[in-house]
Amino acid sequence: MTLKIDAIRACFEGVIPGTMATADLDGTPNISYLSQVQYVDSEHVALTYQFFNKTRQNLLVNPHALLTVIDPFTAAQYRLRLQFLRTETSGPLFESMKAKLAGIASHVGMSHVFQLRGADVFRVNALEQVPGRTLPAPPPRRNLLSALRSASDRIRPAGDLGQLLGAALDCLATEFDIGHAMALLYDDAGQRLYTLASRGYADSGVGSEIALGDGVIGVAARERTPIRISHMTSEYAYGRAIRDSAAGGPGALELAIPLPGLAESRSQMAVPMIAGARLVGVLYVESPHDLRFSYDDEDALVALAAQLALAIRLVQADAVEDAPAADSAPAQPAGEPVAVRHYPENDSVFLDDDYLIKGVAGSIFSVLVHDCVEKGRTEFSNRELRLDPRIRLPDISDNLDARLLLLSRRLADRSACVRIEKTGRGRFKLCLARPLRLADP
Amino acid sequence: MTTAPLFDCDHAAFMQSGISLHAASCGEDKLPSAARALGCRISDDRLNVRVLVSKTQAAQLLADVGRSGALAVVFSRPSTHRTLQLKGRDAVCVAADADDLRVAARYREAFVAETSALGHPAHLIDTIFDIPQDDIVVLSFTPDAAFSQTPGPQAGQTLQAQS
Repeated sequence: MTLKIDAIRACFEGVIPGTMATADLDGTPNISYLSQVQYVDSEHVALTYQFFNKTRQNLLVNPHALLTVIDPFTAAQYRLRLQFLRTETSGPLFESMKAKLAGIASHVGMSHVFQLRGADVFRVNALEQVPGRTLPAPPPRRNLLSALRSASDRIRPAGDLGQLLGAALDCLATEFDIGHAMALLYDDAGQRLYTLASRGYADSGVGSEIALGDGVIGVAARERTPIRISHMTSEYAYGRAIRDSAAGGPGALELAIPLPGLAESRSQMAVPMIAGARLVGVLYVESPHDLRFSYDDEDALVALAAQLALAIRLVQADAVEDAPAADSAPAQPAGEPVAVRHYPENDSVFLDDDYLIKGVAGSIFSVLVHDCVEKGRTEFSNRELRLDPRIRLPDISDNLDARLLLLSRRLADRSACVRIEKTGRGRFKLCLARPLRLADP
Repeated sequence: MTTAPLFDCDHAAFMQSGISLHAASCGEDKLPSAARALGCRISDDRLNVRVLVSKTQAAQLLADVGRSGALAVVFSRPSTHRTLQLKGRDAVCVAADADDLRVAARYREAFVAETSALGHPAHLIDTIFDIPQDDIVVLSFTPDAAFSQTPGPQAGQTLQAQS
């Protein structure tokens, strides 16, 4: 059986630098070290183009090259006969290599020197193992195919968005041993991602937002491609005290919910959740250890994210609704009323003077509170909200359910005097611990 | 014919220390060949460089050198990224003598020490250099070009030797 390069991807993690031999038209050889080799598919690799050096000059006149890499676990050396095809200076491959290089550069103290100018794509014409003694490969952490199958089985029965994301993040922990993770959904209209679930952090960070193109998560979303970094780098780090620059609202400065995350993340991976051609969100994992996520981990999470994306679209489309529950007279709580302020310009909502949420979720909350205070209602259905002209849903297919989940989790995170409780499929009620009062902004 | 050395004593000491070494040549069809080197010896007048390789691992490289004499050797210290490259056109393959084999043994120890300091497992690196003595041969050549290859703006410039 012919050895394929997908079997030797451990050599491409940049642990031990590879070498690249080229030659000019006179047959004068040149050999140089490589900081990074990127696996593209079973017949192609990509190398970083950083400087217009002799290697590059040679490739432009003679596309043949010999790449030598070494397995960091077994010491096995491999030679790849390459043929230079093209250079990419933007797009998914370029961006994933740029992010990986940032991690490698910062790890080896070359952040100021290593800058990606292009991703040079090569066809692999031959692959051979160099004769020599090798060490036995260490046993894998676990069988990722089996982990993926278990996760797939556990996600399938989830009946709503909250259960789906919960099951997915639980599986990351139990099946993949990944303890720090977030699920973010994509808001197409706002070109932003918002956190809807997380595991492994002191604060859930539900409601925190990331702009398209910002850091690992934002780039993965913009390019619709996994981004994986194996070392700590400031280049893709998120400021932990992001300030929302949204104009309007006297509390504009407080309108930011901090993104959860490890203070010292040494491995990060963001995998887009894509259903058909539609970006649904991003699954993000991180670790305090260098080189925690491998090519195989990336493959497993890409497959998981694909299933998750389809499942999310399915629960959103499957708007099953239970019959309304028997009218129960809403309990009128005693105590000092809480002032609810709603600022229409950005739909931000404050409970007394504490910022709760903004955007679509803020608009929903304002409608719920209004109907509760004015009409004494506490029972609601998703369908009526979907059709309510007071709520400016970006588009009808945009998921009301995700905004409701965001709102209910945010209320729970704030231990607010109001809770949202599911009462059935497509139905929920407001539970009040204190009376509400609508206050003028 | 080169008469003055292209590099100075400091370069020579660097090239003979426990750093990463690789050699390359080129076949008739413009296909490059390459192999990891197992040590380096430089003559006192710095005009001759001997690079040790495994006959088995470097079979294609040796065939190409035998045909053309063309050789490139790169020297790099992993901890600092200091890198330089020598090129020659008169390379020949000769048998390793006892001094060459002593250089190979010393080099192996030094390179394991250099990489262990960076966190690479010593037994792993040592495995790479587990080559039978009778498999070691020498590529001997006169450098006719020397370049600095340390990553950065100076990369690719001709080596500046202090006399």
